[in-house]
This record gives sequence, C-alpha cells and structure tokens, in this order.
Amino acid sequence: MATRVITVDRSLKPGIWPLVLGHWETLKNLVRTLILRQASTIEFPEKRRNVSGRYRGIHILTAREDGTPKCVACFMCATVCPAECIYIESGERPEKTIEKYPTRFEIDLLRCVYCGFCVDACPEEAILMSRENDLVGTTREELIIDRDRLMARAKLLDVGTGYHPSEHDVRRPVRIAAIEKLKQERGIGNSRPPRG
Amino acid sequence: MPKLTIDGREIEVAAGTTVIRAAQQLGIDIPHFCWHPDLSVDGNCRMCVVEIEKQAKLQISCNTAATEGLVVHTDTPRVRAARRSTLEFLLVNHPIDCPVCDQAGECYLQDQYQAYTLHDARTELEEKVHKRKLVDLGPILLDAERCVLCSRCLRFESEVVGTSTLMFANRGNRTEIATFQNRPITHSYAGNLADVCPVGALLSHDFRFKMRVWFLASTPSICPGCSTGCNVYVDQRDGEIYRLRPRRNPEVNKSWLCDPGRAQYKQIGSPERVAVARTRRGAEWSAVPLAAALDVLAAHIKGAGRALAILGTPQATNEDLRALSTLADTTGARLDFRVGDPELKVRELEDGILQRADKNPNTQGALDLGIARSGVDEIIAACRRGEVAVLLLQGPELLRLPAAGVFLEKVPFVAVMATHNEPALERAHLILPAAAWAEIDGTFTNYQRRVQRILRAVPAPGEARPRWDLVGELLRRLGAPLAATSARELFGEVVRAVPEYAGLDYRVLGESGRVAISVGANGHSPLPQV
Repeated sequence: MATRVITVDRSLKPGIWPLVLGHWETLKNLVRTLILRQASTIEFPEKRRNVSGRYRGIHILTAREDGTPKCVACFMCATVCPAECIYIESGERPEKTIEKYPTRFEIDLLRCVYCGFCVDACPEEAILMSRENDLVGTTREELIIDRDRLMARAKLLDVGTGYHPSEHDVRRPVRIAAIEKLKQERGIGNSRPPRG
Repeated sequence: MPKLTIDGREIEVAAGTTVIRAAQQLGIDIPHFCWHPDLSVDGNCRMCVVEIEKQAKLQISCNTAATEGLVVHTDTPRVRAARRSTLEFLLVNHPIDCPVCDQAGECYLQDQYQAYTLHDARTELEEKVHKRKLVDLGPILLDAERCVLCSRCLRFESEVVGTSTLMFANRGNRTEIATFQNRPITHSYAGNLADVCPVGALLSHDFRFKMRVWFLASTPSICPGCSTGCNVYVDQRDGEIYRLRPRRNPEVNKSWLCDPGRAQYKQIGSPERVAVARTRRGAEWSAVPLAAALDVLAAHIKGAGRALAILGTPQATNEDLRALSTLADTTGARLDFRVGDPELKVRELEDGILQRADKNPNTQGALDLGIARSGVDEIIAACRRGEVAVLLLQGPELLRLPAAGVFLEKVPFVAVMATHNEPALERAHLILPAAAWAEIDGTFTNYQRRVQRILRAVPAPGEARPRWDLVGELLRRLGAPLAATSARELFGEVVRAVPEYAGLDYRVLGESGRVAISVGANGHSPLPQV
C-alpha cells in the first residue's frame, strides 16, 4: 500500500474565530454555575459526595460492650497486609475469659494501600473500614493512627460503615470454592456430611 | 540389614529401625503426634498408621520394626480414611482458639488438618467438654482443652529429667494432664515441655504473646551458656531476638536445651549493651569514635613494646582468639585466658543432663589455640611489679576479680573489649564495643572438642564489631595486618594453627559441627573422643 502524505500549511492564520469559541465556552459555564446552579464541582469539604457502602476508607477498630477492643491480637491483619503498615503488640487481658488483646495497635496510614485485606482476614470483625477518605495531618507521626484513635472512630459507624466483611465480602465465595477444590484434589474432607 | 519397600521405593536400614524412621530416611513424612525422635515409643495417637501388604490391619509405623521384604504404603485411601477419623476424634473437644494460641503456625493439629482432613466440625462449641485453661505451672502454662493426650511431656519428664512431675488425671473424655496439686515445674528443663508439646497445651511463659511464630526467621547457632555447646536456632524478627529453640543434634543435645540456655537471648537486646567506645580521664568517661579509640590504643601498644600483656576470653570464638594470638606473637606480649580456671571444669557435668560447670562456650578452643601461655597469676604478678604498661583484655573477666582494684593500680593503661556495661569496667581506661555471639560468624569448640559454627543472626548495636575485627584494626595500625578479612578466612588460619582441626572449614562443619581428631602432639592433653 502506498503511503499517503498529508501536507499541512502551518502559515495559515486562525483569525478571531477560536477566540470567540473559547469565550463562548467560558460564558456558558458561568451561566450554568452562577445562574442555573448546575456546577459539576462541589464545595468540598462542606459538601461531600456519596460514596458506596463498600467504600474502603480509613479503618475503624470496633469495641465490645464493655468498651474494650474486640480485637484478640491474632496478627492476621498484620500478616496479610501487603503494605506491612499494621503494628501490633499483644498482652494478657486482666479477666481470663478471652486471654489476649492488643496493648498497641497502629496503622501507618501513609503506607496503607486501602486494599481491605485486613478486614477480610479478621476472624472477629474487629477491624472494619469507614467511608471517610480524607485525613489531614501536618506531621508524619500524626498519620500513624493508634489503637485509641482507631477505636474512637467507631462513632462513624452511625453514619454507615465502609467495607464490611459480613455484608460485602465479595471474595468469600471465591475462598470457599478454593477450599472445596483443595479437598477434591487431596481426596479429603468429611466422610459424611456434617450434622444439622 | 533388612531391605524394605516404602511407597514403591526400596531402602536398606539398620536392624531395629522402625518404619517411620525408615520412611524419614527416604524423605517421606508420616504424620504423627506422640512419636518423638528422642523419646520412647508410645504409639497412642494412631496418626502414623500405614498399610503393609499381607497384613490385614493398618499398622502404626512408629512401633513397627522394618523387616526384610516389608512392602509399606503410606498414602492409600484406607490410610487417609484412618487419619481423617483419628484427627476428627482429636479435634472433637478442641477449643479451636488458634487466633489467641501461641502454637499457631507450628501446631501439628493445624498442619495435619490442612494436609489431611479440612473437615467441618460435627460438634457445636457448646457441646464440647471443657477442661482447665490457663493453669500456671511456673515457667509453663497448661491449657488442658488444647491437649491431644500424646504423653510426650510425661515421657520427657520421666525419661529425660527423671522428675515425673506430670501425669494423666481423670478418665475418658475428661482425661487431662496435670501436676500433683497444680505444683509448678521446678527443674531447669521446663522450656522443653513447650517444645515437645505438638499442640498449644503447654506453652512457654517467657514467649507468651510476644510474637506470632511465622514472622520469625531462624538462624542456626550454638548456645553460649556453657561448654556443652547445645545446638540452637536463634529466632528473630527485624533484628530483635524473641527466643532460642533447641536444634536437634543427636550427638550433643538431642532435642533439648536448658532454661538458662534459653534465656541467653535476653542479653543480646539488653539496654546495658556497650555500643560506642569510651575513654576515661580521671573519673570522667567520654564517648569517642571507634577509629579514634583504636588509634589511641595502637599508640599505647607501640609505646609499651614488650611491656604489653593480653588476656583472651573463653567467651570469644576461635577466630577472635586466633586474631588475639597473632597480636601477641607480633608484639611479644604475655598472653593467657584462664581467669577462674575454666579449663578444669570444661567436661564437668553439673546435673547429669546438659549443663556443665564451665560457663564458657569456648574454653576448649582457647586451649587448642594455645592461648594458655604465661599464666594468669604471672600476668597479675607482673602488673604488681609494674612491668605491664598496657593491659589488653578481650573480655572483662580479670576486672571482675576482687583484687583487680589493687593490682591494676600499677598499670598505666587498661583497655577492655566489652559487650555489656558493668561496674567492673570502671577499672579500665578504654572500653571497646564488642559484638556479642548472636551478632557474629565464628566457631566454638565444645567439651567434646566438637567445632561448631555460630552464625550472625542480628546486627550489632552502634559501632560494636567482632573482637577479631577490633584486633585486626589494631594490627593494621601496628603495620602487621591480618591476612584474613572475614571470619571464614580467619578460620583457615585457625585450622593451620591447630593440627587437630586439619581438614575443617565452614562447609565441612555444616550445621552439626565436627569433632576434631585427637593427635596429642602439641603439648596439651588430647581429649578422648566422645
């Protein structure tokens, strides 16, 4: 196929026409925003967009009824975290029924990639995500959020949580299918179906 | 020598070998709970069953002798079904509290559930038989609900320690292990109970809730607590050591480690570590850069000529000691190490199990390297006579002597390599920061004359350096640098210096070490082979 060569005349003068077009566009938006009130932007932070109920925002640590953390410091979240941003130290609970709880629980929000794996991994629904997506700090240390600040965020639950395993665990069927496949491959599993 | 076939592969084993061991020799792991390589066979858990041709029933491989012509199958539908049922029974009353259990990650129940059953429970949590939890047995914590009643701990108590503290109490599905009236375990081998327990029933108080085990990286090393030289793993994360675990060596410590040995890791991360060099003027101590401190020391050594005395330490590695004897040879200094006569106690067993009276890991190495030369008493006498201008100490042992304050008065300059701060160091004029055993590569020679490697597990604090490196820096400043630039190379010089170590290098030593050949030619009495 022969090559087609296009010659462009760069000496052409555009004249006044593009200028008029540009001004017309500006004028249209001015009328739309100021007079018709149809702005495509919002007045952040006074106004906020609605985000999905599965939104993966800043974490929340939930509490038991007595106000102590639900977390049992099993380190599952810290283990699965791809950003390695969760730091936990564990200790003995004074009352012996649950044994273990986190004496320190810190998330470095500057390292966090908000993947939500920690929420999936948690066996206690102790860590959830909120819909909050903005957090301002003037130092790096401020954005390493500790146990008490994470627990104080539980009040955000009143306006609805973000990513929450029991409601939005989209990966659960995938996990169950993977386990079933493993059982078949290894020829293991229940000899009889479980009771009930 | 019977020859048998396991999973289609033939193997010839020594007479009396059990099927489970024969399988291990082939690299086939048969799952088990109650069997332990260093305890007697009990055969109670029934997990290690295998199918043997021409035998009607499944057999437990831990108590079946390998005999001529045996044809064993370790992974058939019948075997799998039996394992599944066994494991389901073991888990019937298990609390499944893995999230708060320290054993998680190294638990036989977890591993074998993953590998062989993945079954769903048929018992509700409320229906389970509940047993005692959090029973405080001193250094050990008992959770009877997690127990699989394998009796490993009972056998350890009666066969290794000889105390028989633990027993089975109650009957049927209420059976649990217990001590009489919940008395604590008082012997100094309690930590092994947590190790032999295949599940989370016996756990160490010291390690409780410190770290989940899958975060820990293990470095093979040697316990520095005494001249036995038990093989250990140093378990660390991000430069912090969390525990020492015994590493199996059938010829040294089997699978065991004493509690004082286990506690050795605590000295590594201690806040009392010497991290920078310090000099004293009058009673005032000030920190100085290491290079400057070495310059000062080298200048003093040059000025002292033959009025230099050097004391080694049996805490140091063979490489450290070899560098030190090179320094003594170069300068013509007096040299010894036997403060407190450790050489008399090297082989003295204290408790009939592992602990020896000589609390140094490398007294035998120092003897082999000929560090015992001038005599400690002679060096002290020379100090008293004012014949010593510079005293270089590889460790603080001499400073700890009650009389040190008196005989050091006549010595104008005392330099000491130290790992930890202690009041005795105040008697020196210069302190050099030395790296501790878990922070260096090297070798120790134990009481059997077994040369064993230690490996660097964590970084040393601040400017601390291996002792051989400090001496190497001194030798460089004195114009006679060491030929070796690493511990591995330096070990080559150790081998050249000690005829009994002929043929050894780091690769030959491997993970379990080698016993030096006794030639008995170089002056000090050879030890019998153990």
